[in-house]
Amino acid sequence: MPKTIRKLFPLVAFAALVSAIFWATSLGTLPPAEFTFNNGTEPKSLDPAQVTGSPEGRIVRALFEGLYRPNPETLEPLPAMALTANPDEILSEDGRIYTFPLRTGAVWSDGQPVTAEDFRWSWQRLLHPETGSQYHFVLSAYVVNAAKYNAGIVDPGDQVEIELPDRSRSQQLFPRGTMLYGKLLTIERPEALSLDTDSGGEASQNKRKWIYTVEIDGVARRFSQQPPINDAVEKCRHVLLDFDQVGIRVLDPYRLEVELNSPTPYFLYLMQFYVTVPVNRSCIEQHGYPDWIRPENIVVNGPFQIDFRRLRDRIRLKKNEHYWDASSVQLQTVDALAVESSTTGLNMYLDGDVDWMPSPPSEVIPQLEGRRDYHSMSSLSIYFYRLNVTRKPFDDPLVRMALSRAVDRERICKSILRAGQEPAYSLVPPVLPHYSAAQAPEYNLEAARRLLAQAGYPGGRGLRSIEILFNTSDGHRKIAEAIQQDWQRLGIDVRLRNLEWQTYLSTTRKMDYDVARAGWIGDYPDPNTFLDLFVTDGVQNETGWGNREFDQLIENATRESNPEKRMQILHRAEEIIMGELPVMPLYFYVSTNLVKPYVRGFFSNSQDLHPLISISIDQAARKRDRQRKDGT
Amino acid sequence: MIVFLARRFFWFLLTVWVVFTISFFLMRAVPGGPFDGERKLEPDVKQAIERRYRVNEPLLEQYAYHLGMAVGVLTEEGTFHLGFPDLGPSYRIRDYSVNQIIAQGLPVSASLGILALAFGLLVGISAGIIAALRRQTWIDASVMVLATTGMAVPNFWMAGVCIILFVFMIPLFPAAGWGSVSNLVLPAFCLGAPYAAYIARLTRTGMLEVLHQDYIRTARAKGLSGTRVVLRHALKAALLPVVSFLGPAAAGILTGSLVIEKVFHLSGIGSYFVEAALQRDYPLAMGVVLIYTVVLYIMNVIVDISYAIMDPRIELQ
Repeated sequence: MPKTIRKLFPLVAFAALVSAIFWATSLGTLPPAEFTFNNGTEPKSLDPAQVTGSPEGRIVRALFEGLYRPNPETLEPLPAMALTANPDEILSEDGRIYTFPLRTGAVWSDGQPVTAEDFRWSWQRLLHPETGSQYHFVLSAYVVNAAKYNAGIVDPGDQVEIELPDRSRSQQLFPRGTMLYGKLLTIERPEALSLDTDSGGEASQNKRKWIYTVEIDGVARRFSQQPPINDAVEKCRHVLLDFDQVGIRVLDPYRLEVELNSPTPYFLYLMQFYVTVPVNRSCIEQHGYPDWIRPENIVVNGPFQIDFRRLRDRIRLKKNEHYWDASSVQLQTVDALAVESSTTGLNMYLDGDVDWMPSPPSEVIPQLEGRRDYHSMSSLSIYFYRLNVTRKPFDDPLVRMALSRAVDRERICKSILRAGQEPAYSLVPPVLPHYSAAQAPEYNLEAARRLLAQAGYPGGRGLRSIEILFNTSDGHRKIAEAIQQDWQRLGIDVRLRNLEWQTYLSTTRKMDYDVARAGWIGDYPDPNTFLDLFVTDGVQNETGWGNREFDQLIENATRESNPEKRMQILHRAEEIIMGELPVMPLYFYVSTNLVKPYVRGFFSNSQDLHPLISISIDQAARKRDRQRKDGT
Repeated sequence: MIVFLARRFFWFLLTVWVVFTISFFLMRAVPGGPFDGERKLEPDVKQAIERRYRVNEPLLEQYAYHLGMAVGVLTEEGTFHLGFPDLGPSYRIRDYSVNQIIAQGLPVSASLGILALAFGLLVGISAGIIAALRRQTWIDASVMVLATTGMAVPNFWMAGVCIILFVFMIPLFPAAGWGSVSNLVLPAFCLGAPYAAYIARLTRTGMLEVLHQDYIRTARAKGLSGTRVVLRHALKAALLPVVSFLGPAAAGILTGSLVIEKVFHLSGIGSYFVEAALQRDYPLAMGVVLIYTVVLYIMNVIVDISYAIMDPRIELQ
């Protein structure tokens, strides 16, 4: 090593260190936003068709606006892009066809008008199988032919649309390749190689080899997604039902018609759900997914725009001056922080960096109770256990009833949860004003013992040990341990098994469990959102339970136009499931929020929705609050 | 020197490839897929997603595809193209590619790491020297007690105590967040403290060993001042153990810390090491593993070179 290098080395090392420190501290400062809230985590995506969680929902609702938006106090649908929510004006006699008149003054942030075509295109995008939206059911479960389009089911005789494999970029859904439209004549299904036809993936793989003969402009052409070699079959990317067959129609630029399978009294609530917002076609076609969501590209129609997004730090929103109701938007800038640790979030709230903090850590809730800035409210969601009725001994309703009656839910709520949660003996939370829930029998250890003996297991003798499965979390463990103790009192040996979230999901889906922890948040304020989960072979059922009468009642309820009678039918259905207990309700969640007293327009409600559009800041009160903090 | 670097570069490529391969297959051996959600999807829909992200292909084909992209010879569509290494889209943070996520997060982790490391070096080396020179006095004893405590205390505890003291009791610093230098003081201190403690111990041991060497006695006999002896002659040799500790330490500290980033809400890449694996975000998990490998390797090479410069007995081979 030359001597000069050796001499210079300490200097170089020192200079490197100093310049590194200089670089590390050279970050620009950021002025705080007018309103800052903790959004809990980095949104998975801001594409309305991709998102599912509430952190994503809060941002999507700020950026886009659908036909309706929820009243922040009552959650009743308020007209947004649609002009009216009055059923007499928009609903047909038979309750199946909605005709939504759209607002003529509404424009996108690029100045183009928002039209009925925007909704049709956005909903087609939402339903397209390749989008892979988890919440497509908001449309597919109700709108005529939407489920067929989404699942990629076509039958001979259908009008179909065929996409040729000539996209400019293969990896994204839109823009699409060349489209052909015609009538499906026949489907040839080559013999499946595997005998195992009930696995969905396998069936889907085979389906790619199906050959569709379609009549296009009087000529019969053959298509397949995986055409056999040396055959006159054209390759195509998709064969789907022609979207014109789906009950979403543009009557004129400002009138949108939606045809439902059956009357759906809560349909307007679904239309305020964030997945149904329109997205801007020209923006998506120009930039593609995911580039269209970048702050510099995105085109929105809601009250706010993205100013910038710093991954895992914050999304800064700024008021959208093009919004049709911009005059009623009070906030100029909003920061949505992605603070994941609720303790850190609480620190920031107490320190005054954050104005609204949802779900403070449960350990401090007993101390927060009674504070002026603490809001709690029972929410439209439930914590429950699934019982796998395809396994012994859970196939016996007596055993299930015994297990349920042995669980002291009161103790779980009072000594473990401690945030005002209510013990649950029904599936539907008691927050829906027009519905009275059907109750399962209450906690009674003696009765539980008798039931177990009746089932042939006196004192738990002859019963195998059972396993409670939950996704890894301290909270779930504590509850499982409490229930373990309760069941041990019946003489049952109980083991606990925890799996981390993704494994837990696939394990419960495969029904590889005895008893599994679960939770459900209502999608719309109606009992149906909890009850229709458990129809026979329903995709979310996952218990193996099925009951003809229950299915029939759920079905009947969709046909019933009298709201009162409908509620009675649903009550009857709940009675059946609470009598058989394939699921064991444990408690109803509460939503908790810390909101600074100078924040105006914030209301507690059962779906824990707090639209940013209605929030404002009382600046004088904020100043007083700051001074008081500095004074102490 | 050139030969040394060339040889190291070859081993570097090999190491990264081995790490890539092992991580690739290990990650996919865990049950649970990245696209299992709470709501079940129609089989066709699920398949479409899996096709888009190519998770339904045979494992070896996926491996070739991802390796091709990571090397920079394949595009996302699978066509040939020479370019920058691309780790593909993240499964979980869907609006971003892994490259973009790392490009946004690494500078945050790195700047915090640099400050923590600078703090650790400055405090550690000075404390170590002082302790060695004042051996077996109360100064030495208290420095060593502090250093042992500093190494033993977990940093989430230290962070909690610092927040109580310097945010709520004496409101000097903001509770958490990113945006100004004052945001970085507490996290850099909490992150750097264990390193400072360890460096202090290493420096002290190294110093004590060197101070008894003949050449130090010679230097003193020449009539050099105490400071000059220590800084000019003793320190160079005493720091060798510190330098070899710095390689892996710097790699760890620069790529972020899960705990500190969580507690102080800093948007670095530290948390991805755990989260990406839990969420089955294979490309992102691969991204952070590779970044760590690369940084660690580079740091070790720098350490080797510094060694050769600082210690004439060592030659680069």
